[in-house]
Amino acid sequence: MRPLTEEESKAVFTKLANYIGKNLIHLIDRKDEPYCFRLQKDRVYYVSESSMRLSISVARPNLVSLGTCFGKFSKSGKFKLHITALEYIAQYAKYKIWIKPNGEMPFLYGNHVVKAHLGRITEDTPEHQGVIVFSMNDVPLGFGVTARSTVDTRKLDPTAIIVFHQADVGEYLRDEETLF
Amino acid sequence: MDVSNILASHAAKFQSIAVEKDTPLDVDTGLLTVTDLNPVDEDSYKDNLEEYLQSTARDGIQTLIASLYALPTRASPDGPLAQLPPPTTHLPRAKPLPKPKPPTKWERFAAAKGIQKKVREKKVWDEERQEWVNRWGRDGKNKEKEEQWITEVKANADVDYDPVKAARDERKSRVAKNERQRLQNQARAQTALTDREERKKEIERTLATSRVSTASMGKFDKKLEGEKKMRGVKRKFEPTEVPIEKEKETSLAILSKIDGDARRSRKEKGGDDVLNVRKAIRTASRGRGGVALGRDSGRGGARGKRGGKR
Repeated sequence: MRPLTEEESKAVFTKLANYIGKNLIHLIDRKDEPYCFRLQKDRVYYVSESSMRLSISVARPNLVSLGTCFGKFSKSGKFKLHITALEYIAQYAKYKIWIKPNGEMPFLYGNHVVKAHLGRITEDTPEHQGVIVFSMNDVPLGFGVTARSTVDTRKLDPTAIIVFHQADVGEYLRDEETLF
Repeated sequence: MDVSNILASHAAKFQSIAVEKDTPLDVDTGLLTVTDLNPVDEDSYKDNLEEYLQSTARDGIQTLIASLYALPTRASPDGPLAQLPPPTTHLPRAKPLPKPKPPTKWERFAAAKGIQKKVREKKVWDEERQEWVNRWGRDGKNKEKEEQWITEVKANADVDYDPVKAARDERKSRVAKNERQRLQNQARAQTALTDREERKKEIERTLATSRVSTASMGKFDKKLEGEKKMRGVKRKFEPTEVPIEKEKETSLAILSKIDGDARRSRKEKGGDDVLNVRKAIRTASRGRGGVALGRDSGRGGARGKRGGKR
Protein backbone atom coordinates (compact mmCIF):
# COMPACT_ATOMS: atom_id res chain seq x y z
CA MET A 1 0.00 0.00 0.00
CA ARG A 2 1.35 3.38 -0.97
CA PRO A 3 0.08 6.82 -1.96
CA LEU A 4 -0.33 7.53 -5.65
CA THR A 5 2.44 9.19 -7.60
CA GLU A 6 1.70 12.37 -9.45
CA GLU A 7 1.05 10.65 -12.80
CA GLU A 8 -1.18 8.07 -11.15
CA SER A 9 -3.14 10.76 -9.33
CA LYS A 10 -3.52 12.60 -12.61
CA ALA A 11 -4.87 9.48 -14.32
CA VAL A 12 -7.34 8.78 -11.51
CA PHE A 13 -8.50 12.37 -11.18
CA THR A 14 -9.02 12.92 -14.91
CA LYS A 15 -11.06 9.74 -15.08
CA LEU A 16 -13.18 10.72 -12.08
CA ALA A 17 -13.54 14.29 -13.33
CA ASN A 18 -15.07 12.87 -16.49
CA TYR A 19 -18.06 11.84 -14.39
CA ILE A 20 -18.25 14.28 -11.51
CA GLY A 21 -16.33 17.31 -12.82
CA LYS A 22 -15.36 19.84 -10.19
CA ASN A 23 -17.25 17.93 -7.49
CA LEU A 24 -14.07 15.88 -7.24
CA ILE A 25 -12.92 18.44 -4.69
CA HIS A 26 -15.63 17.16 -2.34
CA LEU A 27 -14.07 13.71 -2.44
CA ILE A 28 -10.60 15.01 -1.59
CA ASP A 29 -11.55 17.77 0.81
CA ARG A 30 -14.21 16.16 2.91
CA LYS A 31 -15.86 17.91 5.82
CA ASP A 32 -16.63 14.84 7.94
CA GLU A 33 -13.42 12.83 7.93
CA PRO A 34 -10.15 13.04 5.99
CA TYR A 35 -10.05 10.54 3.12
CA CYS A 36 -7.19 9.60 0.85
CA PHE A 37 -6.34 7.46 -2.18
CA ARG A 38 -4.06 4.48 -1.75
CA LEU A 39 -2.62 2.02 -4.24
CA GLN A 40 -2.32 -1.64 -3.38
CA LYS A 41 -1.48 -4.23 -6.02
CA ASP A 42 -2.57 -2.04 -8.97
CA ARG A 43 -5.85 -1.21 -7.30
CA VAL A 44 -6.76 2.26 -6.14
CA TYR A 45 -8.64 2.46 -2.87
CA TYR A 46 -10.49 5.43 -1.46
CA VAL A 47 -10.08 5.09 2.24
CA SER A 48 -10.55 7.13 5.39
CA GLU A 49 -7.40 8.21 7.15
CA SER A 50 -8.15 6.21 10.28
CA SER A 51 -8.57 2.88 8.49
CA MET A 52 -5.58 3.69 6.28
CA ARG A 53 -3.48 4.07 9.41
CA LEU A 54 -4.82 0.80 10.78
CA SER A 55 -4.03 -1.06 7.57
CA ILE A 56 -0.42 0.13 7.58
CA SER A 57 0.27 -2.62 10.09
CA VAL A 58 -0.87 -5.31 7.63
CA ALA A 59 1.89 -6.66 5.41
CA ARG A 60 1.51 -6.05 1.69
CA PRO A 61 0.94 -9.66 0.61
CA ASN A 62 -1.64 -10.14 3.36
CA LEU A 63 -3.62 -7.00 2.66
CA VAL A 64 -6.57 -8.01 0.50
CA SER A 65 -8.60 -4.84 0.43
CA LEU A 66 -9.24 -1.62 2.29
CA GLY A 67 -11.76 1.17 2.05
CA THR A 68 -13.61 1.38 -1.25
CA CYS A 69 -11.95 0.10 -4.39
CA PHE A 70 -12.25 2.82 -7.03
CA GLY A 71 -10.64 0.96 -9.88
CA LYS A 72 -7.41 -0.50 -11.15
CA PHE A 73 -4.45 0.43 -13.23
CA SER A 74 -3.98 -1.64 -16.34
CA LYS A 75 -0.53 -2.90 -17.24
CA SER A 76 -0.16 -0.06 -19.72
CA GLY A 77 -0.83 2.47 -16.97
CA LYS A 78 -4.41 3.38 -17.83
CA PHE A 79 -6.92 3.69 -15.05
CA LYS A 80 -10.16 1.71 -15.22
CA LEU A 81 -13.02 2.70 -12.95
CA HIS A 82 -14.83 -0.14 -11.19
CA ILE A 83 -18.52 -0.35 -10.36
CA THR A 84 -17.60 -0.19 -6.66
CA ALA A 85 -16.93 3.53 -7.13
CA LEU A 86 -20.54 4.06 -8.15
CA GLU A 87 -21.65 5.01 -4.68
CA TYR A 88 -19.38 8.06 -4.66
CA ILE A 89 -19.64 9.15 -8.27
CA ALA A 90 -23.44 8.76 -8.34
CA GLN A 91 -23.95 11.29 -5.56
CA TYR A 92 -21.75 13.89 -7.25
CA ALA A 93 -22.66 13.08 -10.86
CA LYS A 94 -22.83 15.95 -13.28
CA TYR A 95 -24.61 14.26 -16.15
CA LYS A 96 -27.20 11.54 -15.60
CA ILE A 97 -29.51 9.44 -17.68
CA TRP A 98 -32.53 7.56 -16.44
CA ILE A 99 -33.58 4.36 -18.20
CA LYS A 100 -37.03 2.85 -18.43
CA PRO A 101 -37.85 -0.28 -16.40
CA ASN A 102 -37.78 -2.43 -19.55
CA GLY A 103 -34.21 -1.25 -20.25
CA GLU A 104 -32.84 -2.02 -16.80
CA MET A 105 -32.36 -5.74 -17.36
CA PRO A 106 -30.44 -5.48 -20.65
CA PHE A 107 -28.18 -2.83 -19.11
CA LEU A 108 -27.53 -4.92 -15.99
CA TYR A 109 -26.46 -7.80 -18.22
CA GLY A 110 -23.73 -5.61 -19.66
CA ASN A 111 -25.36 -4.23 -22.80
CA HIS A 112 -25.26 -0.69 -24.10
CA VAL A 113 -28.23 1.61 -23.58
CA VAL A 114 -30.33 2.02 -26.71
CA LYS A 115 -32.57 4.97 -27.43
CA ALA A 116 -35.74 2.95 -26.94
CA HIS A 117 -34.85 2.46 -23.26
CA LEU A 118 -34.01 6.07 -22.60
CA GLY A 119 -36.25 7.64 -20.00
CA ARG A 120 -34.71 11.01 -19.27
CA ILE A 121 -31.33 12.58 -19.85
CA THR A 122 -29.59 15.66 -18.46
CA GLU A 123 -29.98 18.49 -20.89
CA ASP A 124 -26.89 19.61 -22.82
CA THR A 125 -24.92 16.43 -22.25
CA PRO A 126 -22.07 16.55 -24.75
CA GLU A 127 -20.79 13.67 -26.82
CA HIS A 128 -18.38 11.15 -25.23
CA GLN A 129 -19.18 12.41 -21.74
CA GLY A 130 -19.14 10.12 -18.73
CA VAL A 131 -22.68 9.70 -17.42
CA ILE A 132 -24.27 7.82 -14.56
CA VAL A 133 -27.16 5.53 -15.44
CA PHE A 134 -30.13 5.57 -13.07
CA SER A 135 -33.35 3.60 -13.03
CA MET A 136 -36.53 5.64 -13.21
CA ASN A 137 -36.86 5.62 -9.42
CA ASP A 138 -33.38 7.13 -8.99
CA VAL A 139 -31.40 4.01 -8.14
CA PRO A 140 -27.90 4.21 -9.64
CA LEU A 141 -27.32 1.22 -11.93
CA GLY A 142 -23.95 1.93 -13.45
CA PHE A 143 -22.10 4.31 -15.68
CA GLY A 144 -21.05 4.73 -19.26
CA VAL A 145 -20.11 7.18 -21.97
CA THR A 146 -22.56 8.99 -24.19
CA ALA A 147 -22.44 8.10 -27.86
CA ARG A 148 -24.20 11.27 -28.97
CA SER A 149 -24.94 14.64 -27.46
CA THR A 150 -28.45 15.28 -26.14
CA VAL A 151 -29.32 17.39 -29.15
CA ASP A 152 -28.26 14.70 -31.60
CA THR A 153 -30.20 11.91 -29.86
CA ARG A 154 -33.51 13.35 -31.00
CA LYS A 155 -32.90 12.38 -34.61
CA LEU A 156 -31.77 8.82 -33.86
CA ASP A 157 -33.82 5.67 -34.46
CA PRO A 158 -34.94 3.65 -31.40
CA THR A 159 -32.29 0.93 -31.78
CA ALA A 160 -29.34 3.31 -31.89
CA ILE A 161 -26.93 3.17 -28.98
CA ILE A 162 -27.01 6.22 -26.77
CA VAL A 163 -24.73 5.27 -23.91
CA PHE A 164 -21.80 2.89 -24.18
CA HIS A 165 -21.78 0.53 -21.24
CA GLN A 166 -18.76 0.77 -18.95
CA ALA A 167 -19.85 -0.76 -15.67
CA ASP A 168 -23.10 -1.83 -14.06
CA VAL A 169 -24.15 -3.23 -10.71
CA GLY A 170 -24.54 -6.67 -12.30
CA GLU A 171 -20.77 -6.93 -12.09
CA TYR A 172 -21.10 -7.47 -8.36
CA LEU A 173 -22.30 -10.96 -9.34
CA ARG A 174 -20.47 -11.50 -12.62
CA ASP A 175 -17.00 -10.34 -11.57
CA GLU A 176 -17.25 -11.03 -7.89
CA GLU A 177 -13.79 -12.55 -7.51
CA THR A 178 -11.84 -9.85 -9.34
CA LEU A 179 -13.83 -6.77 -8.49
CA PHE A 180 -12.53 -5.64 -5.14
CA MET B 1 71.90 20.88 67.88
CA ASP B 2 72.85 19.87 64.39
CA VAL B 3 69.86 19.33 62.16
CA SER B 4 71.82 19.02 58.97
CA ASN B 5 71.68 15.23 58.83
CA ILE B 6 67.93 15.29 59.62
CA LEU B 7 67.47 17.71 56.76
CA ALA B 8 69.66 15.58 54.52
CA SER B 9 67.68 12.44 55.33
CA HIS B 10 64.46 14.35 54.73
CA ALA B 11 65.72 15.65 51.43
CA ALA B 12 66.78 12.16 50.39
CA LYS B 13 63.17 11.03 50.71
CA PHE B 14 62.13 13.51 48.04
CA GLN B 15 63.64 13.91 44.65
CA SER B 16 65.02 17.24 43.60
CA ILE B 17 62.61 19.69 42.07
CA ALA B 18 65.21 20.71 39.54
CA VAL B 19 65.22 18.33 36.59
CA GLU B 20 68.57 17.84 34.89
CA LYS B 21 68.50 16.46 31.35
CA ASP B 22 70.99 16.40 28.49
CA THR B 23 68.50 18.11 26.23
CA PRO B 24 66.25 20.45 28.23
CA LEU B 25 62.57 19.46 28.19
CA ASP B 26 60.33 21.32 25.79
CA VAL B 27 57.47 22.82 27.81
CA ASP B 28 54.37 24.37 26.26
CA THR B 29 52.49 25.73 29.25
CA GLY B 30 49.61 27.01 27.12
CA LEU B 31 48.69 23.45 26.11
CA LEU B 32 49.95 21.96 29.44
CA THR B 33 52.32 19.79 27.41
CA VAL B 34 55.87 18.64 28.00
CA THR B 35 57.90 16.96 25.31
CA ASP B 36 60.96 14.90 26.22
CA LEU B 37 63.36 15.01 23.30
CA ASN B 38 66.09 12.95 25.01
CA PRO B 39 66.95 9.59 23.50
CA VAL B 40 65.72 6.57 25.46
CA ASP B 41 68.28 5.11 27.83
CA GLU B 42 68.34 1.57 26.57
CA ASP B 43 69.83 -0.11 29.66
CA SER B 44 67.37 1.20 32.20
CA TYR B 45 64.54 0.78 29.68
CA LYS B 46 65.27 -2.92 29.35
CA ASP B 47 66.14 -3.36 32.99
CA ASN B 48 62.93 -2.10 34.51
CA LEU B 49 60.45 -0.67 32.08
CA GLU B 50 57.83 0.43 34.61
CA GLU B 51 60.26 2.33 36.75
CA TYR B 52 61.92 3.98 33.78
CA LEU B 53 58.58 5.19 32.38
CA GLN B 54 57.51 6.48 35.76
CA SER B 55 60.72 8.42 36.31
CA THR B 56 60.52 9.96 32.84
CA ALA B 57 56.90 10.92 33.46
CA ARG B 58 57.73 12.31 36.87
CA ASP B 59 60.46 14.52 35.40
CA GLY B 60 58.08 15.84 32.84
CA ILE B 61 55.33 16.58 35.32
CA GLN B 62 57.84 18.18 37.69
CA THR B 63 58.99 20.56 34.98
CA LEU B 64 55.39 21.36 33.98
CA ILE B 65 54.35 22.07 37.60
CA ALA B 66 57.43 24.22 38.11
CA SER B 67 56.57 26.23 35.02
CA LEU B 68 52.98 26.61 36.24
CA TYR B 69 54.22 28.10 39.54
CA ALA B 70 56.31 30.60 37.63
CA LEU B 71 53.18 31.97 35.92
CA PRO B 72 51.43 35.14 37.16
CA THR B 73 48.42 34.32 39.34
CA ARG B 74 45.07 35.89 39.97
CA ALA B 75 43.14 35.57 43.21
CA SER B 76 39.73 33.91 43.03
CA PRO B 77 37.20 32.54 45.59
CA ASP B 78 38.52 29.01 44.80
CA GLY B 79 42.12 30.00 45.44
CA PRO B 80 44.78 31.48 43.15
CA LEU B 81 44.45 30.81 39.41
CA ALA B 82 47.46 30.71 37.12
CA GLN B 83 46.99 32.45 33.80
CA LEU B 84 48.16 30.28 30.94
CA PRO B 85 50.12 31.93 28.15
CA PRO B 86 49.02 31.31 24.56
CA PRO B 87 50.25 27.93 23.25
CA THR B 88 53.47 27.88 21.27
CA THR B 89 53.17 24.45 19.60
CA HIS B 90 51.51 24.56 16.22
CA LEU B 91 48.99 21.76 15.80
CA PRO B 92 47.96 20.52 12.36
CA ARG B 93 44.32 21.33 11.51
CA ALA B 94 41.84 18.51 11.99
CA LYS B 95 39.70 19.28 8.93
CA PRO B 96 40.88 19.76 5.35
CA LEU B 97 41.16 23.30 4.07
CA PRO B 98 37.82 24.71 2.96
CA LYS B 99 37.29 24.59 -0.78
CA PRO B 100 37.23 27.96 -2.50
CA LYS B 101 33.69 29.17 -3.11
CA PRO B 102 32.52 29.02 -6.71
CA PRO B 103 32.56 32.56 -8.09
CA THR B 104 29.31 34.44 -8.40
CA LYS B 105 28.10 35.63 -11.78
CA TRP B 106 29.39 39.12 -11.09
CA GLU B 107 32.77 37.85 -9.92
CA ARG B 108 33.14 35.88 -13.13
CA PHE B 109 32.19 38.89 -15.20
CA ALA B 110 34.55 41.11 -13.24
CA ALA B 111 37.40 38.66 -13.72
CA ALA B 112 36.76 38.53 -17.47
CA LYS B 113 36.66 42.32 -17.73
CA GLY B 114 39.54 42.85 -15.33
CA ILE B 115 37.48 44.86 -12.87
CA GLN B 116 39.17 45.28 -9.52
CA LYS B 117 37.14 44.86 -6.37
CA LYS B 118 36.73 48.12 -4.52
CA VAL B 119 35.73 48.13 -0.89
CA ARG B 120 33.16 50.81 -0.25
CA GLU B 121 33.18 52.46 3.13
CA LYS B 122 30.13 51.71 5.20
CA LYS B 123 29.87 55.35 6.30
CA VAL B 124 29.37 58.35 4.07
CA TRP B 125 29.67 62.02 4.90
CA ASP B 126 26.39 63.87 5.26
CA GLU B 127 26.84 67.52 4.29
CA GLU B 128 23.66 68.70 5.93
CA ARG B 129 24.09 67.02 9.25
CA GLN B 130 27.89 67.45 9.19
CA GLU B 131 28.55 63.90 10.36
CA TRP B 132 29.29 60.42 9.11
CA VAL B 133 26.12 58.38 8.50
CA ASN B 134 25.53 54.81 7.42
CA ARG B 135 25.37 54.20 3.69
CA TRP B 136 22.51 51.77 4.39
CA GLY B 137 20.83 50.28 7.44
CA ARG B 138 19.69 52.33 10.43
CA ASP B 139 19.29 55.99 9.45
CA GLY B 140 20.95 55.07 6.16
CA LYS B 141 21.75 57.54 3.46
CA ASN B 142 19.77 55.39 0.98
CA LYS B 143 16.56 56.28 2.81
CA GLU B 144 17.21 60.00 2.46
CA LYS B 145 14.55 60.53 -0.22
CA GLU B 146 11.88 58.78 1.81
CA GLU B 147 12.54 60.72 4.96
CA GLN B 148 12.98 64.27 3.69
CA TRP B 149 10.09 66.49 4.69
CA ILE B 150 9.49 68.01 1.27
CA THR B 151 9.79 66.40 -2.15
CA GLU B 152 9.79 67.91 -5.58
CA VAL B 153 7.05 66.45 -7.81
CA LYS B 154 6.89 66.84 -11.57
CA ALA B 155 4.12 69.02 -12.93
CA ASN B 156 2.63 66.19 -14.99
CA ALA B 157 2.62 63.67 -12.12
CA ASP B 158 -0.56 61.75 -11.24
CA VAL B 159 -2.89 63.12 -8.57
CA ASP B 160 -2.30 60.13 -6.33
CA TYR B 161 1.44 60.02 -6.95
CA ASP B 162 3.20 59.42 -3.66
CA PRO B 163 6.91 60.29 -3.97
CA VAL B 164 7.75 58.68 -0.62
CA LYS B 165 6.10 55.43 -1.63
CA ALA B 166 7.74 55.52 -5.07
CA ALA B 167 11.19 55.97 -3.54
CA ARG B 168 10.56 53.23 -1.01
CA ASP B 169 9.27 50.85 -3.66
CA GLU B 170 12.32 51.46 -5.77
CA ARG B 171 14.65 50.79 -2.85
CA LYS B 172 12.71 47.65 -1.88
CA SER B 173 12.82 46.37 -5.45
CA ARG B 174 16.58 46.79 -5.46
CA VAL B 175 16.80 44.76 -2.26
CA ALA B 176 14.55 42.11 -3.77
CA LYS B 177 16.64 41.97 -6.92
CA ASN B 178 19.79 41.49 -4.91
CA GLU B 179 18.19 38.71 -2.90
CA ARG B 180 17.03 37.02 -6.08
CA GLN B 181 20.51 37.20 -7.53
CA ARG B 182 21.98 35.85 -4.34
CA LEU B 183 19.64 32.84 -4.48
CA GLN B 184 20.49 32.29 -8.13
CA ASN B 185 24.19 32.36 -7.30
CA GLN B 186 23.59 29.89 -4.51
CA ALA B 187 21.68 27.55 -6.81
CA ARG B 188 24.39 27.84 -9.44
CA ALA B 189 27.08 27.07 -6.85
CA GLN B 190 25.28 23.94 -5.73
CA THR B 191 25.00 22.46 -9.18
CA ALA B 192 28.44 23.53 -10.31
CA LEU B 193 30.75 20.57 -10.91
CA THR B 194 34.46 20.66 -11.34
CA ASP B 195 35.81 19.83 -14.80
CA ARG B 196 36.98 16.45 -13.61
CA GLU B 197 33.61 15.49 -12.14
CA GLU B 198 31.85 16.66 -15.26
CA ARG B 199 34.16 14.61 -17.45
CA LYS B 200 33.61 11.55 -15.26
CA LYS B 201 29.87 11.89 -15.47
CA GLU B 202 30.03 12.28 -19.22
CA ILE B 203 32.18 9.19 -19.61
CA GLU B 204 29.81 7.18 -17.44
CA ARG B 205 26.86 8.34 -19.45
CA THR B 206 28.54 7.47 -22.73
CA LEU B 207 29.53 4.06 -21.41
CA ALA B 208 26.00 3.33 -20.25
CA THR B 209 24.62 4.32 -23.64
CA SER B 210 27.11 2.25 -25.57
CA ARG B 211 26.46 -0.81 -23.44
CA VAL B 212 22.80 -0.96 -24.41
CA SER B 213 23.41 0.05 -28.01
CA THR B 214 23.74 -3.43 -29.44
CA ALA B 215 21.17 -5.56 -31.25
CA SER B 216 20.34 -7.40 -28.03
CA MET B 217 20.31 -4.20 -25.96
CA GLY B 218 23.48 -5.37 -24.24
CA LYS B 219 22.01 -8.66 -23.11
CA PHE B 220 24.37 -11.07 -24.90
CA ASP B 221 27.50 -8.96 -24.78
CA LYS B 222 30.73 -10.37 -23.48
CA LYS B 223 31.11 -9.34 -19.88
CA LEU B 224 34.42 -7.73 -19.02
CA GLU B 225 36.08 -8.51 -15.77
CA GLY B 226 35.20 -6.08 -13.02
CA GLU B 227 32.40 -4.62 -15.06
CA LYS B 228 29.75 -3.17 -12.85
CA LYS B 229 26.11 -4.06 -13.18
CA MET B 230 24.13 -1.30 -14.74
CA ARG B 231 21.70 0.34 -12.43
CA GLY B 232 18.54 2.00 -13.55
CA VAL B 233 16.73 4.79 -11.84
CA LYS B 234 15.20 3.61 -8.61
CA ARG B 235 11.55 4.35 -8.14
CA LYS B 236 10.79 6.52 -5.18
CA PHE B 237 7.42 6.84 -3.55
CA GLU B 238 6.00 9.11 -0.93
CA PRO B 239 5.84 7.53 2.51
CA THR B 240 2.47 5.98 3.32
CA GLU B 241 2.14 8.04 6.43
CA VAL B 242 2.43 11.64 5.32
CA PRO B 243 0.28 14.12 7.23
CA ILE B 244 -3.14 13.93 5.63
CA GLU B 245 -3.32 17.71 5.30
CA LYS B 246 -0.20 17.72 3.16
CA GLU B 247 -1.53 14.92 1.01
CA LYS B 248 -4.76 16.81 0.52
CA GLU B 249 -2.81 19.86 -0.57
CA THR B 250 -0.84 17.93 -3.17
CA SER B 251 -4.04 16.34 -4.46
CA LEU B 252 -5.71 19.72 -4.78
CA ALA B 253 -2.64 21.09 -6.55
CA ILE B 254 -2.77 18.24 -9.08
CA LEU B 255 -6.48 18.82 -9.49
CA SER B 256 -6.05 22.52 -10.17
CA LYS B 257 -3.32 21.69 -12.67
CA ILE B 258 -5.64 19.30 -14.51
CA ASP B 259 -8.36 21.92 -14.35
CA GLY B 260 -6.04 24.52 -15.84
CA ASP B 261 -5.09 22.19 -18.70
CA ALA B 262 -8.71 21.39 -19.39
CA ARG B 263 -9.68 25.05 -19.39
CA ARG B 264 -6.88 25.88 -21.81
CA SER B 265 -7.96 23.17 -24.23
CA ARG B 266 -11.58 24.25 -23.86
CA LYS B 267 -10.61 27.84 -24.63
CA GLU B 268 -9.04 26.64 -27.85
CA LYS B 269 -12.26 24.88 -28.73
CA GLY B 270 -14.27 27.90 -27.61
CA GLY B 271 -16.67 26.31 -25.12
CA ASP B 272 -17.22 26.25 -21.40
CA ASP B 273 -18.98 23.56 -19.43
CA VAL B 274 -20.17 25.82 -16.63
CA LEU B 275 -22.34 27.86 -18.94
CA ASN B 276 -23.89 26.58 -22.13
CA VAL B 277 -23.07 29.62 -24.20
CA ARG B 278 -25.13 28.58 -27.20
CA LYS B 279 -28.22 28.07 -25.10
CA ALA B 280 -27.69 31.21 -23.06
CA ILE B 281 -27.48 33.31 -26.20
CA ARG B 282 -30.58 31.68 -27.59
CA THR B 283 -32.53 32.45 -24.43
CA ALA B 284 -31.25 35.97 -24.00
CA SER B 285 -31.88 36.96 -27.60
CA ARG B 286 -35.23 35.14 -27.66
CA GLY B 287 -34.06 32.88 -30.42
CA ARG B 288 -32.72 35.54 -32.76
CA GLY B 289 -29.02 34.81 -32.23
CA GLY B 290 -25.94 36.61 -30.92
CA VAL B 291 -25.77 39.28 -33.60
CA ALA B 292 -29.21 40.58 -32.80
CA LEU B 293 -28.39 40.57 -29.10
CA GLY B 294 -25.26 42.64 -29.68
CA ARG B 295 -27.24 45.14 -31.79
CA ASP B 296 -29.88 45.50 -29.07
CA SER B 297 -27.47 46.10 -26.23
CA GLY B 298 -25.52 48.58 -28.39
CA ARG B 299 -28.62 50.69 -28.98
CA GLY B 300 -29.42 51.04 -25.29
CA GLY B 301 -32.10 49.98 -22.85
CA ALA B 302 -35.21 51.88 -23.98
CA ARG B 303 -34.95 50.96 -27.62
CA GLY B 304 -34.09 47.40 -26.75
CA LYS B 305 -37.33 47.20 -24.79
CA ARG B 306 -39.31 48.43 -27.71
CA GLY B 307 -37.55 45.91 -29.90
CA GLY B 308 -38.68 43.24 -27.46
CA LYS B 309 -42.32 44.13 -27.96
CA ARG B 310 -42.12 43.70 -31.68
